[in-house]
Amino acid sequence: MTELLLARRRIAVFLGLFLFAVVLLTTQSRTADRRAIGPFGTLILTALLPVQAGMAGIVDSVTTMWEQFTEIGGLRVENAQLRGRVDVLSREAAALHEQAASAGRLERLLALREQIAYRAVAARVITRDPSRWFTTLTVDRGGLDGVARNSPVVTPDGVVGRVIEVTPTASRVLLIGDSRSALGVLIQRSRDAGVVEGRGSGALHLKYLSRTVAVTQGDIVVTSGLGGVFPRGLVVGRVTTVTREEGALLQEAEVEPAAALDRLEDVLILLPRR
Amino acid sequence: MLIYGGLLVIAGLVQVAWLARVEISGAILDPLLPIAVAVGILRGAEAGGAVGLAAGLLQDLLGGGPLGVNGLSKMMVGFASGLFERSIYLENPLLPAVATFAGTLLSEVLLLAVGQVTGLSGSVAAAAPRALTQAMMNGALAPVLFRGIKGIEIRLARTR
Repeated sequence: MTELLLARRRIAVFLGLFLFAVVLLTTQSRTADRRAIGPFGTLILTALLPVQAGMAGIVDSVTTMWEQFTEIGGLRVENAQLRGRVDVLSREAAALHEQAASAGRLERLLALREQIAYRAVAARVITRDPSRWFTTLTVDRGGLDGVARNSPVVTPDGVVGRVIEVTPTASRVLLIGDSRSALGVLIQRSRDAGVVEGRGSGALHLKYLSRTVAVTQGDIVVTSGLGGVFPRGLVVGRVTTVTREEGALLQEAEVEPAAALDRLEDVLILLPRR
Repeated sequence: MLIYGGLLVIAGLVQVAWLARVEISGAILDPLLPIAVAVGILRGAEAGGAVGLAAGLLQDLLGGGPLGVNGLSKMMVGFASGLFERSIYLENPLLPAVATFAGTLLSEVLLLAVGQVTGLSGSVAAAAPRALTQAMMNGALAPVLFRGIKGIEIRLARTR
Protein backbone atom coordinates (compact mmCIF):
# COMPACT_ATOMS: atom_id res chain seq x y z
CA MET A 1 0.00 0.00 0.00
CA THR A 2 2.81 2.39 0.95
CA GLU A 3 4.64 1.57 -2.25
CA LEU A 4 1.53 2.39 -4.24
CA LEU A 5 1.13 5.70 -2.47
CA LEU A 6 4.74 6.53 -3.06
CA ALA A 7 4.45 5.70 -6.73
CA ARG A 8 1.33 7.82 -7.09
CA ARG A 9 3.01 10.66 -5.27
CA ARG A 10 5.99 10.35 -7.51
CA ILE A 11 3.81 10.46 -10.60
CA ALA A 12 1.94 13.44 -9.26
CA VAL A 13 5.14 15.34 -8.55
CA PHE A 14 6.50 14.53 -11.97
CA LEU A 15 3.33 15.63 -13.70
CA GLY A 16 3.28 18.81 -11.64
CA LEU A 17 6.89 19.66 -12.50
CA PHE A 18 6.40 18.65 -16.11
CA LEU A 19 3.30 20.75 -16.54
CA PHE A 20 4.95 23.69 -14.86
CA ALA A 21 7.89 23.50 -17.28
CA VAL A 22 5.72 22.96 -20.33
CA VAL A 23 3.35 25.80 -19.45
CA LEU A 24 6.32 28.06 -18.85
CA LEU A 25 7.82 27.06 -22.15
CA THR A 26 4.65 27.51 -24.14
CA THR A 27 4.08 30.88 -22.50
CA GLN A 28 7.54 31.89 -23.66
CA SER A 29 6.91 30.80 -27.21
CA ARG A 30 4.07 33.27 -27.55
CA THR A 31 6.28 36.27 -27.00
CA ALA A 32 8.23 37.85 -29.87
CA ASP A 33 11.71 37.06 -28.56
CA ARG A 34 10.52 33.85 -26.88
CA ARG A 35 11.62 35.07 -23.51
CA ALA A 36 9.55 36.65 -20.77
CA ILE A 37 11.13 36.25 -17.38
CA GLY A 38 8.54 38.18 -15.39
CA PRO A 39 9.08 40.15 -12.19
CA PHE A 40 10.42 37.16 -10.25
CA GLY A 41 13.01 36.40 -12.93
CA THR A 42 13.92 40.06 -13.09
CA LEU A 43 14.44 40.08 -9.33
CA ILE A 44 16.74 37.07 -9.51
CA LEU A 45 18.70 38.52 -12.40
CA THR A 46 18.99 41.88 -10.63
CA ALA A 47 20.62 40.07 -7.75
CA LEU A 48 22.81 37.71 -9.77
CA LEU A 49 23.96 39.75 -12.76
CA PRO A 50 26.33 41.98 -10.74
CA VAL A 51 27.90 38.83 -9.27
CA GLN A 52 28.14 37.35 -12.75
CA ALA A 53 29.74 40.54 -14.03
CA GLY A 54 32.25 40.48 -11.15
CA MET A 55 33.16 36.86 -11.83
CA ALA A 56 33.53 37.58 -15.53
CA GLY A 57 35.72 40.56 -14.63
CA ILE A 58 38.01 38.30 -12.60
CA VAL A 59 38.44 35.98 -15.58
CA ASP A 60 39.01 38.95 -17.86
CA SER A 61 41.71 40.30 -15.55
CA VAL A 62 43.42 36.92 -15.28
CA THR A 63 43.20 36.45 -19.06
CA THR A 64 44.61 39.91 -19.69
CA MET A 65 47.44 39.31 -17.22
CA TRP A 66 48.25 35.98 -18.82
CA GLU A 67 48.20 37.49 -22.30
CA GLN A 68 50.49 40.29 -21.17
CA PHE A 69 52.78 37.78 -19.49
CA THR A 70 53.03 35.61 -22.59
CA GLU A 71 53.36 38.71 -24.78
CA ILE A 72 56.25 39.96 -22.63
CA GLY A 73 57.92 36.58 -23.02
CA GLY A 74 57.48 36.75 -26.78
CA LEU A 75 58.78 40.30 -26.88
CA ARG A 76 61.84 39.29 -24.86
CA VAL A 77 62.67 36.54 -27.32
CA GLU A 78 62.09 38.89 -30.25
CA ASN A 79 64.18 41.58 -28.56
CA ALA A 80 67.05 39.14 -28.02
CA GLN A 81 66.88 38.07 -31.67
CA LEU A 82 66.84 41.68 -32.86
CA ARG A 83 69.74 42.57 -30.57
CA GLY A 84 71.72 39.70 -32.01
CA ARG A 85 70.87 40.91 -35.50
CA VAL A 86 71.91 44.46 -34.60
CA ASP A 87 75.23 43.14 -33.25
CA VAL A 88 75.89 41.21 -36.46
CA LEU A 89 74.98 44.20 -38.64
CA SER A 90 77.06 46.55 -36.48
CA ARG A 91 80.08 44.29 -36.85
CA GLU A 92 79.52 44.10 -40.59
CA ALA A 93 79.14 47.88 -40.82
CA ALA A 94 82.31 48.41 -38.77
CA ALA A 95 84.24 45.97 -40.97
CA LEU A 96 83.01 47.69 -44.14
CA HIS A 97 83.83 51.10 -42.67
CA GLU A 98 87.31 49.85 -41.82
CA GLN A 99 87.79 48.45 -45.30
CA ALA A 100 86.67 51.73 -46.85
CA ALA A 101 89.07 53.73 -44.67
CA SER A 102 91.91 51.35 -45.47
CA ALA A 103 91.17 51.58 -49.18
CA GLY A 104 91.21 55.37 -48.93
CA ARG A 105 94.59 55.38 -47.22
CA LEU A 106 96.08 52.96 -49.72
CA GLU A 107 94.72 55.06 -52.57
CA ARG A 108 96.50 58.10 -51.21
CA LEU A 109 99.71 56.13 -50.74
CA LEU A 110 99.49 54.96 -54.32
CA ALA A 111 99.05 58.52 -55.52
CA LEU A 112 102.10 59.57 -53.49
CA ARG A 113 104.11 56.68 -54.83
CA GLU A 114 103.42 57.80 -58.36
CA GLN A 115 104.51 61.34 -57.51
CA ILE A 116 107.83 60.39 -55.93
CA ALA A 117 110.70 59.43 -58.18
CA TYR A 118 111.64 56.63 -55.79
CA ARG A 119 110.78 53.00 -55.67
CA ALA A 120 108.43 52.56 -52.78
CA VAL A 121 106.66 49.82 -50.92
CA ALA A 122 103.50 50.19 -48.88
CA ALA A 123 103.65 48.84 -45.36
CA ARG A 124 101.22 48.34 -42.53
CA VAL A 125 102.00 49.36 -38.99
CA ILE A 126 101.93 46.22 -36.89
CA THR A 127 103.22 47.38 -33.51
CA ARG A 128 103.97 50.58 -31.67
CA ASP A 129 106.52 51.32 -29.03
CA PRO A 130 104.67 51.30 -25.74
CA SER A 131 107.29 53.40 -23.91
CA ARG A 132 106.92 57.15 -23.57
CA TRP A 133 110.60 57.90 -24.15
CA PHE A 134 111.19 56.44 -27.57
CA THR A 135 108.76 56.75 -30.42
CA THR A 136 109.22 53.90 -32.82
CA LEU A 137 106.91 51.54 -34.63
CA THR A 138 107.19 48.29 -36.53
CA VAL A 139 105.95 47.74 -40.07
CA ASP A 140 105.26 44.52 -41.94
CA ARG A 141 107.89 45.00 -44.61
CA GLY A 142 111.52 44.00 -44.31
CA GLY A 143 114.67 43.07 -46.16
CA LEU A 144 112.86 40.64 -48.44
CA ASP A 145 110.83 43.58 -49.74
CA GLY A 146 113.96 45.64 -50.38
CA VAL A 147 113.75 47.71 -47.21
CA ALA A 148 117.16 48.86 -45.93
CA ARG A 149 118.41 50.71 -42.90
CA ASN A 150 117.73 54.48 -43.16
CA SER A 151 114.99 54.01 -45.75
CA PRO A 152 112.69 57.02 -45.46
CA VAL A 153 109.16 56.36 -44.32
CA VAL A 154 106.42 58.74 -45.42
CA THR A 155 102.66 59.16 -45.73
CA PRO A 156 100.71 61.34 -48.16
CA ASP A 157 100.59 63.95 -45.36
CA GLY A 158 104.34 64.11 -44.78
CA VAL A 159 107.50 62.53 -43.42
CA VAL A 160 107.10 59.85 -40.78
CA GLY A 161 110.65 58.77 -39.99
CA ARG A 162 113.37 56.37 -41.10
CA VAL A 163 114.05 52.68 -40.78
CA ILE A 164 116.53 51.86 -38.06
CA GLU A 165 116.27 48.06 -37.90
CA VAL A 166 115.55 45.59 -40.65
CA THR A 167 114.56 41.94 -40.44
CA PRO A 168 113.60 39.86 -43.47
CA THR A 169 109.87 40.43 -42.95
CA ALA A 170 109.57 43.52 -40.72
CA SER A 171 111.29 46.80 -39.98
CA ARG A 172 111.45 49.21 -37.07
CA VAL A 173 110.90 52.85 -37.87
CA LEU A 174 112.25 55.75 -35.81
CA LEU A 175 109.68 58.53 -35.97
CA ILE A 176 110.77 62.11 -36.55
CA GLY A 177 109.23 62.95 -33.20
CA ASP A 178 111.73 60.77 -31.35
CA SER A 179 114.41 62.69 -29.45
CA ARG A 180 117.08 60.71 -31.33
CA SER A 181 115.81 61.94 -34.68
CA ALA A 182 117.21 64.92 -36.65
CA LEU A 183 116.79 65.84 -40.30
CA GLY A 184 117.82 68.70 -42.54
CA VAL A 185 114.94 70.92 -43.62
CA LEU A 186 114.07 74.04 -45.58
CA ILE A 187 111.48 76.68 -45.00
CA GLN A 188 109.48 76.13 -48.15
CA ARG A 189 108.65 79.80 -48.72
CA SER A 190 112.10 81.30 -48.08
CA ARG A 191 114.27 78.23 -48.80
CA ASP A 192 116.24 78.89 -45.59
CA ALA A 193 117.86 75.79 -44.12
CA GLY A 194 117.63 74.40 -40.60
CA VAL A 195 117.45 71.15 -38.65
CA VAL A 196 114.34 69.57 -37.18
CA GLU A 197 114.80 67.49 -34.07
CA GLY A 198 112.36 65.33 -32.26
CA ARG A 199 111.49 65.92 -28.61
CA GLY A 200 109.75 62.72 -27.74
CA SER A 201 106.47 64.60 -27.71
CA GLY A 202 104.02 65.70 -30.37
CA ALA A 203 105.88 68.83 -31.55
CA LEU A 204 109.20 69.06 -33.41
CA HIS A 205 111.98 71.53 -32.71
CA LEU A 206 113.39 73.59 -35.60
CA LYS A 207 116.99 74.74 -34.88
CA TYR A 208 119.86 76.54 -36.49
CA LEU A 209 117.79 79.10 -38.33
CA SER A 210 119.61 82.33 -39.01
CA ARG A 211 118.25 85.32 -37.09
CA THR A 212 117.93 87.17 -40.34
CA VAL A 213 115.48 84.65 -41.71
CA ALA A 214 111.86 85.82 -41.61
CA VAL A 215 110.10 82.73 -40.30
CA THR A 216 106.42 83.14 -39.58
CA GLN A 217 103.73 81.01 -38.10
CA GLY A 218 102.24 78.71 -40.71
CA ASP A 219 105.36 78.33 -42.81
CA ILE A 220 105.69 74.89 -44.36
CA VAL A 221 108.88 72.98 -43.54
CA VAL A 222 110.16 70.47 -46.10
CA THR A 223 113.11 68.12 -46.24
CA SER A 224 116.28 69.64 -47.65
CA GLY A 225 117.70 66.46 -49.15
CA LEU A 226 120.95 67.03 -47.29
CA GLY A 227 122.22 64.13 -45.24
CA GLY A 228 121.37 61.53 -47.79
CA VAL A 229 118.45 59.94 -45.97
CA PHE A 230 115.33 61.83 -47.04
CA PRO A 231 114.75 63.01 -50.59
CA ARG A 232 114.34 66.71 -51.07
CA GLY A 233 110.95 68.42 -50.86
CA LEU A 234 108.96 66.08 -48.60
CA VAL A 235 106.67 67.95 -46.23
CA VAL A 236 107.80 67.69 -42.59
CA GLY A 237 105.37 70.01 -40.88
CA ARG A 238 104.13 73.54 -40.22
CA VAL A 239 105.67 76.21 -38.01
CA THR A 240 103.49 76.94 -35.00
CA THR A 241 105.62 79.25 -32.84
CA VAL A 242 108.88 81.16 -33.45
CA THR A 243 111.34 82.01 -30.69
CA ARG A 244 113.86 84.83 -31.11
CA GLU A 245 115.98 85.36 -28.00
CA GLU A 246 117.55 88.76 -27.43
CA GLY A 247 121.19 88.79 -28.46
CA ALA A 248 121.17 85.30 -29.92
CA LEU A 249 122.53 84.66 -33.40
CA LEU A 250 120.01 82.03 -34.28
CA GLN A 251 116.31 81.61 -33.88
CA GLU A 252 114.22 78.54 -33.18
CA ALA A 253 110.70 77.40 -33.87
CA GLU A 254 108.14 74.77 -32.96
CA VAL A 255 106.93 72.62 -35.85
CA GLU A 256 103.78 70.57 -35.89
CA PRO A 257 104.35 67.31 -37.84
CA ALA A 258 102.35 67.07 -41.03
CA ALA A 259 101.91 63.31 -40.63
CA ALA A 260 99.69 62.12 -37.80
CA LEU A 261 102.49 60.29 -36.00
CA ASP A 262 100.23 58.96 -33.27
CA ARG A 263 97.60 57.53 -35.63
CA LEU A 264 99.62 55.84 -38.34
CA GLU A 265 98.20 52.71 -39.94
CA ASP A 266 99.64 52.54 -43.46
CA VAL A 267 102.95 54.07 -44.59
CA LEU A 268 105.13 54.14 -47.66
CA ILE A 269 108.78 53.09 -47.40
CA LEU A 270 111.00 54.67 -50.01
CA LEU A 271 113.55 52.19 -51.28
CA PRO A 272 117.11 52.93 -52.34
CA ARG A 273 117.58 53.51 -56.03
CA ARG A 274 118.99 50.51 -57.86
CA MET B 1 16.88 22.62 0.25
CA LEU B 2 18.39 26.04 0.82
CA ILE B 3 21.88 24.61 0.55
CA TYR B 4 21.05 23.15 -2.86
CA GLY B 5 19.66 26.51 -3.94
CA GLY B 6 22.98 28.12 -3.02
CA LEU B 7 24.92 25.37 -4.73
CA LEU B 8 22.87 25.79 -7.91
CA VAL B 9 23.36 29.55 -7.93
CA ILE B 10 27.12 29.17 -7.50
CA ALA B 11 27.33 26.44 -10.15
CA GLY B 12 25.15 28.46 -12.54
CA LEU B 13 27.25 31.59 -12.12
CA VAL B 14 30.50 29.66 -12.51
CA GLN B 15 29.17 28.13 -15.70
CA VAL B 16 28.05 31.35 -17.38
CA ALA B 17 30.96 33.47 -16.16
CA TRP B 18 33.90 31.07 -16.43
CA LEU B 19 33.14 27.67 -17.94
CA ALA B 20 31.28 29.15 -20.92
CA ARG B 21 34.62 30.55 -22.12
CA VAL B 22 36.11 27.08 -22.50
CA GLU B 23 34.31 25.50 -25.40
CA ILE B 24 35.36 22.07 -26.70
CA SER B 25 33.77 20.98 -29.97
CA GLY B 26 30.84 23.26 -29.24
CA ALA B 27 30.31 21.72 -25.78
CA ILE B 28 30.56 23.59 -22.51
CA LEU B 29 31.02 21.96 -19.12
CA ASP B 30 27.64 21.89 -17.36
CA PRO B 31 27.99 21.36 -13.58
CA LEU B 32 24.24 21.80 -13.04
CA LEU B 33 23.39 18.53 -14.72
CA PRO B 34 25.61 16.28 -12.53
CA ILE B 35 24.10 18.03 -9.51
CA ALA B 36 20.59 17.16 -10.66
CA VAL B 37 21.66 13.56 -11.39
CA ALA B 38 23.39 13.25 -8.02
CA VAL B 39 20.43 14.61 -6.07
CA GLY B 40 18.11 12.29 -7.98
CA ILE B 41 20.23 9.23 -7.17
CA LEU B 42 20.85 10.17 -3.56
CA ARG B 43 17.46 11.65 -2.59
CA GLY B 44 14.99 10.20 -5.02
CA ALA B 45 13.08 11.14 -8.16
CA GLU B 46 10.98 13.96 -6.67
CA ALA B 47 14.00 15.79 -5.27
CA GLY B 48 15.99 15.11 -8.44
CA GLY B 49 13.18 16.48 -10.58
CA ALA B 50 12.79 19.59 -8.43
CA VAL B 51 16.50 20.32 -8.33
CA GLY B 52 16.75 19.61 -12.05
CA LEU B 53 13.91 22.01 -12.81
CA ALA B 54 15.40 24.72 -10.62
CA ALA B 55 18.85 24.18 -12.17
CA GLY B 56 17.47 24.32 -15.69
CA LEU B 57 15.38 27.43 -15.04
CA LEU B 58 18.37 29.16 -13.48
CA GLN B 59 20.45 28.21 -16.49
CA ASP B 60 17.76 29.58 -18.81
CA LEU B 61 17.50 32.74 -16.76
CA LEU B 62 21.26 33.40 -16.69
CA GLY B 63 21.83 32.18 -20.22
CA GLY B 64 19.30 34.36 -22.01
CA GLY B 65 17.28 31.62 -23.70
CA PRO B 66 13.54 30.91 -23.37
CA LEU B 67 12.62 29.94 -19.81
CA GLY B 68 11.83 26.25 -19.55
CA VAL B 69 13.96 24.65 -22.26
CA ASN B 70 16.74 23.57 -19.92
CA GLY B 71 14.25 23.47 -17.06
CA LEU B 72 12.22 20.75 -18.72
CA SER B 73 15.18 18.65 -19.85
CA LYS B 74 17.05 18.80 -16.54
CA MET B 75 13.89 18.11 -14.59
CA MET B 76 13.37 14.94 -16.56
CA VAL B 77 17.02 13.90 -16.16
CA GLY B 78 16.93 14.52 -12.41
CA PHE B 79 13.64 12.66 -12.09
CA ALA B 80 14.86 9.76 -14.23
CA SER B 81 18.01 9.46 -12.11
CA GLY B 82 15.85 9.12 -9.04
CA LEU B 83 13.98 6.18 -10.54
CA PHE B 84 17.13 4.10 -10.09
CA GLU B 85 17.56 5.17 -6.49
CA ARG B 86 16.99 1.73 -5.04
CA SER B 87 18.22 -0.45 -7.84
CA ILE B 88 21.83 0.74 -8.15
CA TYR B 89 24.87 0.24 -5.98
CA LEU B 90 25.69 3.71 -4.68
CA GLU B 91 29.28 2.90 -3.71
CA ASN B 92 30.24 1.95 -7.24
CA PRO B 93 33.06 4.41 -8.14
CA LEU B 94 31.94 4.52 -11.76
CA LEU B 95 28.34 5.41 -10.88
CA PRO B 96 28.68 9.23 -10.96
CA ALA B 97 30.45 9.29 -14.31
CA VAL B 98 28.23 6.69 -15.97
CA ALA B 99 24.99 8.15 -14.63
CA THR B 100 25.98 11.67 -15.63
CA PHE B 101 27.12 10.49 -19.07
CA ALA B 102 23.73 8.83 -19.64
CA GLY B 103 21.87 11.76 -18.08
CA THR B 104 23.65 14.24 -20.33
CA LEU B 105 22.80 12.24 -23.44
CA LEU B 106 19.15 12.11 -22.29
CA SER B 107 19.23 15.84 -21.64
CA GLU B 108 20.66 16.54 -25.06
CA VAL B 109 18.02 14.37 -26.72
CA LEU B 110 15.27 16.18 -24.80
CA LEU B 111 16.75 19.57 -25.63
CA LEU B 112 16.87 18.59 -29.27
CA ALA B 113 13.27 17.38 -29.14
CA VAL B 114 12.08 20.55 -27.43
CA GLY B 115 14.09 22.59 -29.89
CA GLN B 116 12.59 20.77 -32.83
CA VAL B 117 9.09 21.30 -31.47
CA THR B 118 9.64 24.99 -30.76
CA GLY B 119 11.80 25.53 -33.83
CA LEU B 120 14.80 26.66 -31.80
CA SER B 121 17.45 24.03 -32.51
CA GLY B 122 19.42 23.10 -35.60
CA SER B 123 20.20 19.79 -37.27
CA VAL B 124 20.40 16.48 -35.44
CA ALA B 125 23.60 15.50 -37.24
CA ALA B 126 25.40 18.57 -35.92
CA ALA B 127 24.08 18.04 -32.39
CA ALA B 128 25.27 14.42 -32.08
CA PRO B 129 29.04 14.94 -31.73
CA ARG B 130 28.45 17.94 -29.51
CA ALA B 131 26.19 15.87 -27.25
CA LEU B 132 28.79 13.13 -26.99
CA THR B 133 31.51 15.59 -26.05
CA GLN B 134 29.18 17.24 -23.58
CA ALA B 135 28.40 13.86 -22.00
CA MET B 136 32.08 13.00 -21.63
CA MET B 137 32.93 16.38 -20.11
CA ASN B 138 30.06 16.22 -17.63
CA GLY B 139 30.91 12.61 -16.84
CA ALA B 140 34.46 13.63 -16.01
CA LEU B 141 33.26 16.36 -13.69
CA ALA B 142 30.61 14.23 -11.98
CA PRO B 143 32.74 12.28 -9.43
CA VAL B 144 33.85 15.52 -7.77
CA LEU B 145 30.33 16.91 -7.57
CA PHE B 146 28.92 13.57 -6.39
CA ARG B 147 31.41 13.51 -3.58
CA GLY B 148 30.45 17.04 -2.55
CA ILE B 149 26.71 16.32 -2.66
CA LYS B 150 27.18 13.11 -0.75
CA GLY B 151 28.98 15.10 1.92
CA ILE B 152 26.08 17.55 2.05
CA GLU B 153 23.61 14.67 2.38
CA ILE B 154 25.56 13.12 5.23
CA ARG B 155 25.63 16.43 7.09
CA LEU B 156 21.94 16.98 6.47
CA ALA B 157 21.19 13.45 7.74
CA ARG B 158 23.09 14.20 10.96
CA THR B 159 21.12 17.38 11.62
CA ARG B 160 17.75 15.69 11.07
